[in-house]
Amino acid sequence: MSTLEVKDLHVSVVEEDETKGQEILKGVNLKMSTGEIHAIMGPNGTGKSTLSQAIMGNSAYKVTQGDVLLDGKSILDMPVDERARAGLFLAMQYPAEIAGVTNIEFMRAAINARRDENDQIPVMEFMKKLDEKQGILDMTDEMSERYLNEGFSGGEKKRNEILQLLMIEPKFAILDEIDSGLDIDALKVVSRGVNSMRGDNFGSLIITHYQRLLNYIIPDQVHVMMDGRIVKSGGPELAKKLEDEGYAGLRDDLGLDVKLTDEI
Amino acid sequence: MRSSIKDDFMDDTIAFSKNHEEPLWFQKMREEALNHATELQLPIFEKISYRGWRLDHPKAPFAEANTDNSFDLPETNNLLVQNGDQTLVNKLDPKLSEQGVIFTDIWTALKDYPELVQKYFLATALKPAENKLVALNLALMNGGAFLYVPKNVKVDQSIQSIYLQDNSQQKDYVHHVLVVADQGSEVTYLENFLSQGDQADNIANIVVEVVAAANSRVHFSALDQFGQHVSTYINRHGYVGDNARLDWAIGLMNDSQVVGDFGTDLRGEGGHSEAKVVAITTGEQVSGIDTKITNYGQHTIGHILQHGVILQSSSLTFNGVGHIVKGARGSDAQQESRVLMLSRTARGDANPILLIDENDVTAGHAASVGRVNEEQMYYLMSRGIDQETAQRLVIRGFLSSVITEIPEKEVRVRLTDMIERKLINGQQK
Repeated sequence: MSTLEVKDLHVSVVEEDETKGQEILKGVNLKMSTGEIHAIMGPNGTGKSTLSQAIMGNSAYKVTQGDVLLDGKSILDMPVDERARAGLFLAMQYPAEIAGVTNIEFMRAAINARRDENDQIPVMEFMKKLDEKQGILDMTDEMSERYLNEGFSGGEKKRNEILQLLMIEPKFAILDEIDSGLDIDALKVVSRGVNSMRGDNFGSLIITHYQRLLNYIIPDQVHVMMDGRIVKSGGPELAKKLEDEGYAGLRDDLGLDVKLTDEI
Repeated sequence: MRSSIKDDFMDDTIAFSKNHEEPLWFQKMREEALNHATELQLPIFEKISYRGWRLDHPKAPFAEANTDNSFDLPETNNLLVQNGDQTLVNKLDPKLSEQGVIFTDIWTALKDYPELVQKYFLATALKPAENKLVALNLALMNGGAFLYVPKNVKVDQSIQSIYLQDNSQQKDYVHHVLVVADQGSEVTYLENFLSQGDQADNIANIVVEVVAAANSRVHFSALDQFGQHVSTYINRHGYVGDNARLDWAIGLMNDSQVVGDFGTDLRGEGGHSEAKVVAITTGEQVSGIDTKITNYGQHTIGHILQHGVILQSSSLTFNGVGHIVKGARGSDAQQESRVLMLSRTARGDANPILLIDENDVTAGHAASVGRVNEEQMYYLMSRGIDQETAQRLVIRGFLSSVITEIPEKEVRVRLTDMIERKLINGQQK
């Protein structure tokens, strides 16, 4: 069993030409183990994506206090690629497009980066695995042969993120708004992909605005974030309650003095 | 008083010419070029400064070549391997020679086909007085090749050459290649310049002429690999006749300082040329590449696509020049030059130059100087790919728009391998 722990995490966004950034995360605490699925919900502008980028190690986000621990060891000094090889995966909201590098080539490079130089994945084994995972996601060879995300629709990009997840098989996957821009059919396909990963050796942190996704991927725990902190945690029923009452309702129940971005 | 090139080399030039049993007209051409070389100017290119390389000051053009024949021979029926004036391999499929295709070293050509050589050698694509370096190339030529494809002969196999530059000793490398595709013919030609040895600071002066006569189609590919201590001038110049097509794919994988002077003249009506150039520079290397297509004929098409990657403390300048002359109605000139800088100390420049003297035409340009896309790097690395591999993938993506346009798979594969090797070398601290 592996664990991912976020301890009193404070993060600022570093804008260009600025030395001091704006604090977005103001002390986040979270602990999860493989075998569990956690959902993070919360209104816009509350720091959900910042949390995912800070865990992955995006250099635009600066940790000013606290720690992120994988299996009890801090990963804050690790560069992005090392964190990924240690078992972290981030399905991005806006994946980059790279012309000239095919999806297949990219995924093989990603898998081989985790293997010894003298033990690279044989082509047949790779293709077999790719075939199987594409099947789960209703994807075709044609998509894998295309250049990485180039000319992909929003839905295709999300599917491609999940395909990479299935191919790489990380310990922990953070899914950053993987449901945004998906119609109900695509949502089901993407959920099927994530659910196929469920098991003792896989944990996931699902970031979403809406409860809808959680009808298809049932979480073990739901956390609500507001103003850079987790303000409430509970079981799947918490998501349902939010759907009914809205974030403002929860805030008022908790007696928080927080202004929601989209509040009129 | 300082001696002139003429005084220094006239006797040796005549002796070398006689020794190689060149026809008298050719010897006279050399003498005349040497006589006039001092009056001619070095070619001038926007934002490319190479005067200090002293390319017009050869030291020992006629030294004996040392032969080191340790190189991989490509698998092909049609191959010429030369080290200066020594021919190491020369073979041509008998089916092609029966059809009249000629592929030999320049001296065999001067002896066996003097009329053909005389008709085209510095007579169609370029003239001896083009500039000082072309004149010196003629005067001091110490290696060369001739490829001729007769009228309406369609060569369906590739013709390849390897030109070895002896850098184990003081010896200027002065090489001249003449490719002639006669009317209605088709040919695919690939040349590879390769330095051997790393002992001497030499000058390399290369002139390559390509004549694509009316209705012919020529695919010209070049892989240049000059070594670190060579100062290199490479002139490749094409003549394109009526409805002919000449496509260039040039991979500059040199470690040397290079000035590339690539020009194509669309002389006939309906001629078409696509020039694709890829360059990678490393170390302290300085490279300036000037690629020009001139539309003289009506309804001609000239497209230039150049992509370069600059590592370490090297510098690379791309000029793209599209020139449509008055009267070339219905012509099209397009170009794109992009360079990517990989380090703080790398320097790059991309200059689009359009010279349009006719109204009824289409023309366009794009140019950029940039750094590796951080978002792409983050994405690749977030999948566990290490920084250097990620960088090479991003670069490969950047160069792919040129590479995928090269028609021959073999050239694409060789170029991709060379790029990978050169990048790995360039990434070493």
